[in-house]
Amino acid sequence: MSGRGTLRRPSRVVALGIAASLALTVPVGVLWARSLLPDTYSVMEMGYPDWGGGPGGSGHQAHVLGEDTPGSPAATSVTELTGPAGRPDVAVTLVARQEPVTLVGGRTVAGYTINHTSPGPLLRIGQGDLLEVTLVNESVADGTTLHWHGVDLPNAEDGVAGVTQDAVPVGGRHVYRFVAEDPGTYWYHSHQVSHAQVRGGLFGLLVVDPPGRRDDGDVVAAVHTYDGQRTVGGAPGESRALAEPGATVRLRVVNTDNAPLDVTVGTSFRVLAVDARDVVGPEDVEGRAVRLAGGGRADLGFVVPADGSAVRIQLGQDGLTSLVVGPDDGAAPEVGRVEGLLDLLSYGSPAPLGFDPEAADRRFDYSIGRRPGFIDGIPGLYWSINGQLFPDVPMFMVAEGDVVRMTLENHSGEVHPMHLHGHHAVVLSRNGEPASGSPWWVDTLDVASGDSYEIAFVADNPGIWMDHCHNLPHAAEGLVAHLAYVGVSTPYRIGGPAGNEPE
Amino acid sequence: MRSTYRVLAFVIAMGVAIQAASVALAFFTILDEVDGGGVFTADYDYESNLGIMIHRVGGLGLVPLSALALLIVAFFTRVPGAVKWAAAVFGLVVLQIALVFAAFANASVGALHGMNALAVLLTAIWAGRRITHVSEQDERARDVAAA
Repeated sequence: MSGRGTLRRPSRVVALGIAASLALTVPVGVLWARSLLPDTYSVMEMGYPDWGGGPGGSGHQAHVLGEDTPGSPAATSVTELTGPAGRPDVAVTLVARQEPVTLVGGRTVAGYTINHTSPGPLLRIGQGDLLEVTLVNESVADGTTLHWHGVDLPNAEDGVAGVTQDAVPVGGRHVYRFVAEDPGTYWYHSHQVSHAQVRGGLFGLLVVDPPGRRDDGDVVAAVHTYDGQRTVGGAPGESRALAEPGATVRLRVVNTDNAPLDVTVGTSFRVLAVDARDVVGPEDVEGRAVRLAGGGRADLGFVVPADGSAVRIQLGQDGLTSLVVGPDDGAAPEVGRVEGLLDLLSYGSPAPLGFDPEAADRRFDYSIGRRPGFIDGIPGLYWSINGQLFPDVPMFMVAEGDVVRMTLENHSGEVHPMHLHGHHAVVLSRNGEPASGSPWWVDTLDVASGDSYEIAFVADNPGIWMDHCHNLPHAAEGLVAHLAYVGVSTPYRIGGPAGNEPE
Repeated sequence: MRSTYRVLAFVIAMGVAIQAASVALAFFTILDEVDGGGVFTADYDYESNLGIMIHRVGGLGLVPLSALALLIVAFFTRVPGAVKWAAAVFGLVVLQIALVFAAFANASVGALHGMNALAVLLTAIWAGRRITHVSEQDERARDVAAA
């Protein structure tokens, strides 16, 4: 606006300039303002209900989520969906602390412990046991919870801050009670500010033994990366587990990291179970690695050689971290080159699923993309679900007893380990290729970029269940949706006085 | 407005320089950590790497916001060509962000992200220098007319 000539005529250029400014800034401003999240909100108010073609989708959005609407059963609160009362078979107190973690070998990193260790204590119980865990938060500033990853337990015991409970503040406690109905390898971890607390070590393993089988040659291996250092059970580099020559070993590997983990076994082996579900008719595998999704587990069976040597299990592609299973002084040769990954889509023998996925009551799409935008006013490149950013994400609505099919699709450029709480789903197909092996049950499924999986499950566990990416920083970047049963509501809120922040 | 335009253009150019410096800082930080036995996977704590954090803030905050502001300011400078060159800068910045997405799908596209950065830099410098030059010419022409 300098110069003498400019004052004479209000030029069209200025009008055009104002119009262009508005055209450029208003949409950005609207997007920014729309992305702002209230200080506290319920996940029930978030996004939009997706009825998956089943009943309930009358078009009304405002009141359907868990409210006492005509025709739907009276609302049940998640607080009522607890584990059984009575005398527990196993009772444990777990004390969470924010304190340095000392790795095997002496290195200390900032993090979190449970009963002064990380990983926390291994909980080992029998199938059908009633477990009672008292969580005490001694010093975790943000508050904490325990989520029982992979256990299909009653909703109130699921340990998700702001959905099934309030985060336990410093000085507080919370009791979890549930019956371990399915044997297998599980883990527990914080679901409050989980992207930081799990990374920092606030987790442990849970093993449920079937009746009559306990500790028979079991080796547990929790693989975790602390501050850039990959470890097995908190030990960097090479660790050893004792086993007699000729012994049959069941190795339970748990990937507590965010990245996929390639497990390579230095001998012929079988995959006995995936995500705490037995593989039917497992065949011998040689020269192939097993890839575990972030949060996923696999039980691998192999025999220690009779000649006194040991078996090396390489954890991760770089060869820096390994577990050697065998006699104390047994030599363990390096793991040879592998030809590729074991494909669980065609591994093992087919068996009945126990339900008919063709008779699906609901069909959902969970399509993951990536685009620039705002979440809570902060610009970034965020994950999208069905084209939209958090919190404009679907609430997958089901009724108890529904057979549910879901298509998990990823065109975001990165792999996502998708984790559905409270349920196991079976993989039906990948990129149109039907599953041809053992029923492949998962609670955590790696969906690589470009892949599309069809999964199915029976909605048999009422509640509000997270369905999210277990690369936990991705969840914190908005890759979170929920599965909700009609008629169930939660009194807990994200944010609020408890400062609930599950991701 | 002209001086605002000029300042914004040079802020963008400086931003590109900061982006180049931060990406090198990020890369050498990772090399240093891996040399020390660290692993670089999805478990990598990006927030602990200053270079990556600077690149994120610069690439999604400072540079695009400055480019947007430059384009808006351009309309009020009343200098012929100011809008055109601001639009060019803005367009190249949009392309730069689009190339990030393309590079997630196909890493080799990342090379174009590096090359396009030079285009943003040169265009921003050109726009900033040009407006100084054109303004001075303009003033002289008016002085002559007034005389």
